[in-house]
Amino acid sequence: MTLLDFARGPALQWSLFILVFGVVWRVAGSLLFMLRKDLSKARRRKSVQDGMTVIVTRSLPAHPFEKRIRFQHYSGYAWHITLFIAVLFFAPHILFFKSLLGFGWPGLPNGFILISAAVTLAILLALIIRRATNPVLRTISNADDYISVLVVAIATLTGILSFAHIGGRYETMLAIHLLSVEALFVWFPFGKLMHTALVWPARYQAGAAYGRRGVKA
Amino acid sequence: MNGEQGALAKFRESLAALGERVTHVEMSDEERVRRARAAFTSGLDVRMAVDLETCIHCGMCAEACHFYEATEDERYTPIFKLEPLRRHYRRELSPMRWLFRPFTRKLSAAELAAWQPLVYDACTGCGRCDMMCPMGISLSPMINVMREGLAAAGLVPDELQAIDAEQRDHGTVFGVGEAELRQRIASLEKDGVVIPLDKDRADVVVLTTAVEVLVFGSTLAATARIMQRLGRDWTLLTAAFEASNVGLLAGDRAARRQATRKLVERVAACGAGTVIVPETGHAYQALRWEGANDAGAALPFEVLALSEFLAREVEAGRLQLAPVTNGASVTYHDPCRQGRQGGVFEEPRSVLKALGLELRETASNRRENYCCGGGCGEYVIRRAAPLRQKAFEIKKHEFDSTGADTVVTSCANCRVNLAIGADNSGWTRPVRGLAELVAENLAD
Repeated sequence: MTLLDFARGPALQWSLFILVFGVVWRVAGSLLFMLRKDLSKARRRKSVQDGMTVIVTRSLPAHPFEKRIRFQHYSGYAWHITLFIAVLFFAPHILFFKSLLGFGWPGLPNGFILISAAVTLAILLALIIRRATNPVLRTISNADDYISVLVVAIATLTGILSFAHIGGRYETMLAIHLLSVEALFVWFPFGKLMHTALVWPARYQAGAAYGRRGVKA
Repeated sequence: MNGEQGALAKFRESLAALGERVTHVEMSDEERVRRARAAFTSGLDVRMAVDLETCIHCGMCAEACHFYEATEDERYTPIFKLEPLRRHYRRELSPMRWLFRPFTRKLSAAELAAWQPLVYDACTGCGRCDMMCPMGISLSPMINVMREGLAAAGLVPDELQAIDAEQRDHGTVFGVGEAELRQRIASLEKDGVVIPLDKDRADVVVLTTAVEVLVFGSTLAATARIMQRLGRDWTLLTAAFEASNVGLLAGDRAARRQATRKLVERVAACGAGTVIVPETGHAYQALRWEGANDAGAALPFEVLALSEFLAREVEAGRLQLAPVTNGASVTYHDPCRQGRQGGVFEEPRSVLKALGLELRETASNRRENYCCGGGCGEYVIRRAAPLRQKAFEIKKHEFDSTGADTVVTSCANCRVNLAIGADNSGWTRPVRGLAELVAENLAD
């Protein structure tokens, strides 16, 4: 079995299993924590509406508090968007999704994908440097904060290298890229990348809880 | 020096001596940690679990915190104030605890002690960070749990511990019990104020606080005048007049429940359908939003902040006001636990409008309002005075930027803190209570 066969075979299967099982385990485990019934009389009884509203509003830019956090806020938007472009609209990626899902979609030109991936990588590196040097971020950070960014950055970097045929044989670089993505899958349920799944209930419950008091969170 | 200023000066002197009253409970380090862990575990719920799982450590909450803004001290980043709680959750309760435990340090007594100033001195639980977090994390409820853990470990700051023990063990706050209340009421009655005490049955029960009794008797008098004008069937219960809940502030869960249950039982026995919480932010939170949970059942009466009650009466046309005609302008300070954490934003503004006053909003208002700097019992902690003053400067700047003649608020504790900050900095803008303005402008 070649390295590429391994990456395309058992490594992919096991990493996907860990990803799915881990995500379900962590989300379910969090949501099954003790629920406290609030016995106070609600000022407003539109929890679903208030919760859904906050899911949307906390995604919006130009938050009144963010005078000093523009870089962080907008760079966060930027790297998420460019990463999704590279992941979802690169033709070989679409073929991979098609093999999993049974359907595909049109891709974007390779040059555009390459620029998107490069922007993602640049921002991630800037964010790591910022985390290590900004007093607030340095104080509140733990290993997860660095590992989570690094696994995404490495997956992006190996993708760029394999696309550009830099660093070794194409098959070897592709295998390394696949393995780095699989490392991301394995890390995903254990680190803060899980916010991808948990941000929605977190925002919802903030909106619903404050909403019943009559406060637009 | 007028009567109120004199009373405030005397009150400040009494605050300075609070810490001397504390009897420290001897406890081994292991016991402190054990108790803190137990309190953390019982205090956390699904909402907090999801929040702790979701945090990405972006640090944006720092920008919402007045203590961080005033000092740029990274330790004041709100999520950092929760670090012991987060670690406890991660080690003991998280769905991934089996994996996280070997990589997550155990709590230590020294660490809990080190977090005391972060949680009590440098956080007023104002909830401004709750409005900021891009993940939707509500940090202020978890600050309450942090305080509960530290309280269980015997690590409440001395001054707060003193008044917590006083209310828990004696039922008084700042030394104000039935005798002191009666004395104050007697002095108000000389000015024609009528306060019906201990009626067997009444439609409305009005609460007050030790701070009103000691410092802002004018607010209690104003409330009485307004009730008298409305002709409502009301009373003030000498056995259950205190709306302050120091247990809530200190993190003493048992004391919080005890104070609430006592209040609820006495008021329920009176058959009142409405309870009016005085101008004290945390008292509104304690009864309106936590009261039923602490009592274990829905409350048998409605709870209204005084400003809510005033707005309701004004809007219904039952309370007629004589609008101010001198073109005076005011700015309104939202007490955090009535406003951002209680939903009372528009009612006081509606009353100010009915008074004919020009309302000039501070740049940050309503859900984004800055705390006065001394909420949640913070203003009694002596060592926190320099930090508190820095936070006050933010508030002062906001007030001054409006150019308003007067600051109006609906919280006696905010008024005390603003008065202390003003005194320390030579700031002279008047700070008034909403009820006083209303009582001074009742239509003939």
